[in-house]
Amino acid sequence: MNINATLLAQAVVMIVFVAICWRYIYPPILSVMQEREKRISDGLEAAKKADDSLEEAKLAFDKELNQAKAEAADILEKANTRASQIVSDASLKAEAEAEKIMVSASTSIENETNKAKEELRQQMSDIIIDTTQKILGDEISKEKHEDILKKAAEEL
Amino acid sequence: MAKELTTESYIEHHLTNLTCGKTSAGWTCDPYKVEQMGFWAFHVDSLFWSIFLGGLFILFFKIAMPKKIDAASAPTGAQNFIEMSIEFVEDNVQSLFGSVKNTLIAPLALTVFVWILLMNLMDLVPVDFLPVLAGHIAYAVAGEGVEWIKNPESFYFKVVPTTDPNITLGMAFAVFVLTIYYSITVKGLRAFIAELTLHPFGKWLIPVNFVLEMVNFIAKPISLGLRLFGNLYAGEMIFILIALMLFFSSIPIGILGFGLHLVWALFHILIVALQAFIFMALTIAYLAMAHETEEH
Repeated sequence: MNINATLLAQAVVMIVFVAICWRYIYPPILSVMQEREKRISDGLEAAKKADDSLEEAKLAFDKELNQAKAEAADILEKANTRASQIVSDASLKAEAEAEKIMVSASTSIENETNKAKEELRQQMSDIIIDTTQKILGDEISKEKHEDILKKAAEEL
Repeated sequence: MAKELTTESYIEHHLTNLTCGKTSAGWTCDPYKVEQMGFWAFHVDSLFWSIFLGGLFILFFKIAMPKKIDAASAPTGAQNFIEMSIEFVEDNVQSLFGSVKNTLIAPLALTVFVWILLMNLMDLVPVDFLPVLAGHIAYAVAGEGVEWIKNPESFYFKVVPTTDPNITLGMAFAVFVLTIYYSITVKGLRAFIAELTLHPFGKWLIPVNFVLEMVNFIAKPISLGLRLFGNLYAGEMIFILIALMLFFSSIPIGILGFGLHLVWALFHILIVALQAFIFMALTIAYLAMAHETEEH
């Protein structure tokens, strides 16, 4: 159990082994471990981010959906209003048209009647003149008694 | 010179290193000429196991990691074990070093921990197995040609490097050198000298301060080395004593010895790991102290 040069030899051996470990063994293993650690934490972060964006997308989707629903309801409401307006407009127009037709019909009936009356008067006066002529001969002419005839026709 | 196998010689045999050195008659590993070798002698067995186990550590950490490692694939098999030990070391370095960045510390701590763990684990190999095997190999190879290998049993071969104070103090010495190096490069020479001379009594008692601080400074590596050595040496000693119960006493005590062997081996696993951890933790702590710049 003497202290001898073994001590120095061992110190040198130790420095050599430590140097080998320091230079060739340790760094590659450590760098792989650190890189893997970084990957894992990055992955976790990415997962969290994806979760967050999913949540965001859900919220946006909900918002959009609600808006779309509101719009649809609005459009439906407008369409309903418009439809009822169209119906009421149409019925008003139809009524007006009907009125107009009635009016024009009654006007034309009146005209026809007046026309027929006039004709009848004409014919009547003609017949009367004819008859009177036949009775009185040529004493009476249409031209001579124009005003009398007219008076008579008016009386009719 | 075949010695009779006695309790004493058995213990002595197990506590003696295979020492090679230079004598006046040239290089030899003769255990009877150790006295003549002086300082320049080497414990070949300790150094062999130390280098072998250190090489095993480097090789394992190199081979067990896949050739083309990328961060995308999940680690498998031995890679898990390696990454686990690196994480363990990183945690320890982190807790003692905090924000100081020095890329040498973690590899140093890893090397120290795994290497000492492996060397300590040699303690769990049955005490006679490797020495006798080595003795027979040496005898078969060198045989009668070498005068100091009298027979397989007389060949000294200690298998646990950490029961050799040269090994543990050698490592503590390397740590000590690193401590001084970082003390000077990080703090600067002035601050380092000031630390050794201006505490605890201020500038008027520099010699006293220096003696006190020097004791403190030198005690660190020595206690670091001796702690590991003492624990493992005692453990080895108990294994040897238990082994003696099997061979040099009656059958009942021999049977008791088997039980004790198991119990002590199980307990020793704890010591093996604990001492490796303590050595690593103290190494990190001493180097952390070398990086501390603020006054205390």
